Amino acid sequence: MEIIISNSSKIPIYEQIKEQIKGKIVTNELKAGTLLPSIRNLAKDLRCSVITTKNAYEELEKEGYVTMIPSKGIYVAEINKELVKEEQLNKIENFVDKAVTMAKMNGIEEKVIIEMIHILYEEDSENEKYSRS
Amino acid sequence: MLGFIKKDFALMKNNFMLLVILLVFYIAMGISGEIDISIILPFISVLVMISTFSYDDFNHWNAYASCLPDGRKNCVKAKYVATILLIFLVTTITMVLSILLSSLHTKNIDYTYILYTMVGEIFGTILVLSIMYPIIYKFGIERARIIIFIMVFGIGILGGFLLNFIDVANILNLFSFLKNDWVITLILSSLLLLYISCQISLKIQQKKEF
Amino acid sequence: MKNILEVKNLNKKYDNFELKDVSFSLPEGMIMGFIGENGAGKTTTIKALLNIIKKDSGEIQLLGRDHLKEEKQIKEEIGVVLDDMFFPEILTARDINRIMKDVYKTWDSNLFNQYLEKFLLPSNKPIKTFSKGMRKKLEIITALAHHPKLLILDEPTSGLDPIARTEVLDLFQDFIQNETCSILLSSHMTTDLEHIADYITFINQGKILLSKTKDEILEQYGIVKCREEEFQKIDPKDYIRYKKNKYQYEILIENQQEFKKKYDIKTIDKMTLDDLMILMIKGEKSC
Repeated sequence: MEIIISNSSKIPIYEQIKEQIKGKIVTNELKAGTLLPSIRNLAKDLRCSVITTKNAYEELEKEGYVTMIPSKGIYVAEINKELVKEEQLNKIENFVDKAVTMAKMNGIEEKVIIEMIHILYEEDSENEKYSRS
Repeated sequence: MLGFIKKDFALMKNNFMLLVILLVFYIAMGISGEIDISIILPFISVLVMISTFSYDDFNHWNAYASCLPDGRKNCVKAKYVATILLIFLVTTITMVLSILLSSLHTKNIDYTYILYTMVGEIFGTILVLSIMYPIIYKFGIERARIIIFIMVFGIGILGGFLLNFIDVANILNLFSFLKNDWVITLILSSLLLLYISCQISLKIQQKKEF
Repeated sequence: MKNILEVKNLNKKYDNFELKDVSFSLPEGMIMGFIGENGAGKTTTIKALLNIIKKDSGEIQLLGRDHLKEEKQIKEEIGVVLDDMFFPEILTARDINRIMKDVYKTWDSNLFNQYLEKFLLPSNKPIKTFSKGMRKKLEIITALAHHPKLLILDEPTSGLDPIARTEVLDLFQDFIQNETCSILLSSHMTTDLEHIADYITFINQGKILLSKTKDEILEQYGIVKCREEEFQKIDPKDYIRYKKNKYQYEILIENQQEFKKKYDIKTIDKMTLDDLMILMIKGEKSC
């Protein structure tokens, strides 16, 4: 499992961990029932504090992504993928909405925005290729 | 406490060579039958012990030892035990050598004389360390060195001065009742001295702040 | 959660310095970073915990037990690294192993030797031939080799190069993999603590300024940068310290979210522990 943490980011570290694990669960990279690293193990590997990883896992549990079984471990929970996807789509719609509003206000054509999204997508997949090789 | 005793002996390893050299020197002198330097060996062993205090102080060992279980007390006790062990070790070696060496020169070895010398030496050594150790624990080795130097010097002058007025023979006569038991008396008073000195050192160590 | 370390109203007075009502506690399984300037009282506090200096008053519990009444048992279960206090330096690591076997009931010679190998420390050379980093590592593994429950470390990373520091921090995180083990470590290298510490306790001039989880501090506290006129509008209750610079005011606030709700100031910077330390010490108080 890969988790990339940026110490210079404005996003709190526990949230970075949470979001990345969540992403891996949603994309099925981590399947239901998979045993996740313990709070302390993860803290050591990510070189962060125990409270930080504990927070991340607790939030994930609250949102139903993982189940913590005391003295056994932390497992990926069974989730309703459709529901989660819909939730994420809603969030994305919000962002796009903001972007479009701003574009309209400044008289930027639809074309330009779509082009922009296109480029961003490509950049991302190129980065991925790069990191894999 | 065993651990701390081991530590003191480990600290002496550099100085053991000094003792060995002295021993060799002593044997050489003994074979040639010239002078008897056996008397200084136990004193040298105290000096060796005192050098261990310098090593301790340099790295604040006593403070560190106080963080170990029962370390505050045990490092003092261990120092006394290690010193006594060393004195006995050195004295026994000297005694055996004395007997061997005198057998080179004469057939009738005076065992009682050798024994008495040894008891006297041990007593003298213990007297010195019983006074020095509490001073070292109180003031640290660096300042203790100066204090002890001044003390020895002062006692020398004062003693020399008093000797003009006092008849030593009279004082010795006061102890005449010990005539037959002085060996036992010396041994007992050494033990008592050690006990008192150790208690004082422990008290000092208990109160110490590092 | 149980506290493995609890200090209540610790006082200790010297002629020119005093610890005043020092209180803080460390829950089991956590790492606490103890920060402050040189001379702020870190070492004095640690020495008082270990009873190598006598406290004037206050209550100290280590491993849930009074630190004086059960001193011996407690010391069986804690490991310490103190600045400039260790075995006499003509001894070797092998000597230390031999000695400690008889000092701690739970001394683990195998573990000690494994650590020596891991950190490439020679067992038969006197400590005085070691570099500063090697010496620190030896002190740390000596503190670890009897399986203590609590580590108390005074400046364990000072004088270490970045690589050695990483190794040592890894060792600490290995140590707390067991969730009953905890660490109190003082440092003025706040970057070490920004990573691994769960709690931060900040001492200045013998007083505890704050003791909180690190995440709370780093996420909630913030530094606001603003102009003079904006600064005048801010209620002094809403900030802890401020500092007037040539071009701007720097204001240390305790809660970013609430501050954002109340005021229309956009530049709230994420803060490091260094920033916190500097503003706490050099900044002016609000009232």
